[in-house]
Amino acid sequence: MISLEDIQKLALLARLKLSPQEEESLQKDISNILDYVGQVSAVPMPEIKQDAGLWHNIMREDIPREGGVMLEKGPALIEAFPKSENGYNVVRKIIQKDE
Amino acid sequence: MDDLTKLTIAEAGKKMAAGELTAVDLARACLANIDARNQELNAYLEVFDDVVAQAEAADARRAAGESHPLLGIPLAIKDNILIEGRVSSASSKMLEHYIATYDATVIKKLKEAGAVFVGRTNMDEFALGGSTENSAFGPTKNPHDVARVAGGTSGGSAAAVSAGLCLGALGTDTGGSVRNPASFCGVAGLKGTYGRVSRSGVIAAVSSFDQVGPLAKTAEDTQIIFDTISGRDELDSTSIDPGLYAPHKPTKKVGVPRKLMEEGLDEDVRAAFETKLEALRAKGYEVVDIELPSLSFALATYYIINFAEVSANLARFDGVRYGLSAKGDSLLNDYAKSRAEGFGPETRRRIMLGTYVLSSGYYDAYYGRAGAAREALRQEFVDAFKNVDAVATPTMPTPAFAVGEKSDPLSMYLADIFTVTANLTGNPALSVPMGTVERGGKQLPVGLQLIAAHGDEATLFALGKEIQ
Repeated sequence: MISLEDIQKLALLARLKLSPQEEESLQKDISNILDYVGQVSAVPMPEIKQDAGLWHNIMREDIPREGGVMLEKGPALIEAFPKSENGYNVVRKIIQKDE
Repeated sequence: MDDLTKLTIAEAGKKMAAGELTAVDLARACLANIDARNQELNAYLEVFDDVVAQAEAADARRAAGESHPLLGIPLAIKDNILIEGRVSSASSKMLEHYIATYDATVIKKLKEAGAVFVGRTNMDEFALGGSTENSAFGPTKNPHDVARVAGGTSGGSAAAVSAGLCLGALGTDTGGSVRNPASFCGVAGLKGTYGRVSRSGVIAAVSSFDQVGPLAKTAEDTQIIFDTISGRDELDSTSIDPGLYAPHKPTKKVGVPRKLMEEGLDEDVRAAFETKLEALRAKGYEVVDIELPSLSFALATYYIINFAEVSANLARFDGVRYGLSAKGDSLLNDYAKSRAEGFGPETRRRIMLGTYVLSSGYYDAYYGRAGAAREALRQEFVDAFKNVDAVATPTMPTPAFAVGEKSDPLSMYLADIFTVTANLTGNPALSVPMGTVERGGKQLPVGLQLIAAHGDEATLFALGKEIQ
């Protein structure tokens, strides 16, 4: 069974704030699910050569788009910001003075 | 005919071309059914307010000389496919108020064809689930028995087609999300070969599995939609030309992986399946047993890759540029709080599992191993289609289950046993109705799934028409 500390560490890595109850229920669910999917590591498997497949390294020509195509979308994109000011996205200040 | 919504897309198209019917008639018929049933079914999260106006525009285009099999046909669109200027929420609190800033390529193509968009349909949040119970906006009910689920994750689209709230619909299929609800609701649903349909403008769940697919009453109707939305798109570098794969050499044989069907399959579902196999034999097909040894760990392989890609794809939702944004006491807690409040329980669970299987200590044991198993399975399928035209199974091992019945997440995952394979290998797969079974005095539909060689949707449509 996965430990509660591991659940907390995963939540930190996944940027999820979990309640203590959810940590406990996830500990149980995740252990069950990992037990099930873990069967892949127990199955003997011949050496598999994985190539890139028929369709790979797909490029497109670097052609400038018609002027203003994206700028037209500007207002709609700004509208989607959680908080905006004068057309800028307002985000948290992350550089702070050492105290 | 009393109810115009009972028409197939092919029939309605012919009637409109002959001037016996208008797009406005069809739109109004759908809207009347929506008024009568949508509240109970919860198939649509939103019915657009300009449906009749869109239909009038389609009629005007026809009057001006245009024609297309989808011109004026009312379609439902799954809530994870972007339509410019409309909300696209993926049935999540995270995107509840998100307004799309561009059209998905499939939407662009449907607009060019003149289809009418009726509304956006309910789904499992971010296409994670198998019953549409994981929607942040309540489950979709099955039109055949409203105590039961519609299937998922495209449950709203399937229920809308089944109940005559549209004539066809778009869903997306990550591990069976078009075929599973098609089976539960008694309609046809197709997942094309990986890459045949552009994913540009589709909210990503598992990028190496996701395909947009049509739902409609018949295999023929799914073909009409598929022919319209498929094609190489420079906005999706995984999209392919139809000619990428060598043409399949017909064998007149259908393979059945009997070993996979030994357990967990309801007996009356098995009987319905055998009846359809008999019908195929009567049409001159040979039904043969096939061995696909890697199938035994397909589900485990599927879920490892699902968790991994989901955790990576959903990392973009951080409350900074769009979507739900909650304030914590630090930047880190802004993220953690936004994501905790925006994502539902199943989504959080899969993000956690994905983070686990991708973590450095476990990467090789899970994700690395799953990649090798996936390739082994793909090669088995390539070999299998040298001997058979299609692989047939029931789409789902049971008919629709009751709302709330599968509360344990693992039991929900195990119901996907027959559908996930085609996503792992990239093969096209079609579910068509194969009759009904009785549960609690109600007749519930069940579906038959056909998987064909890469690029060979033609065989699926041909066989699907034979069976239905």
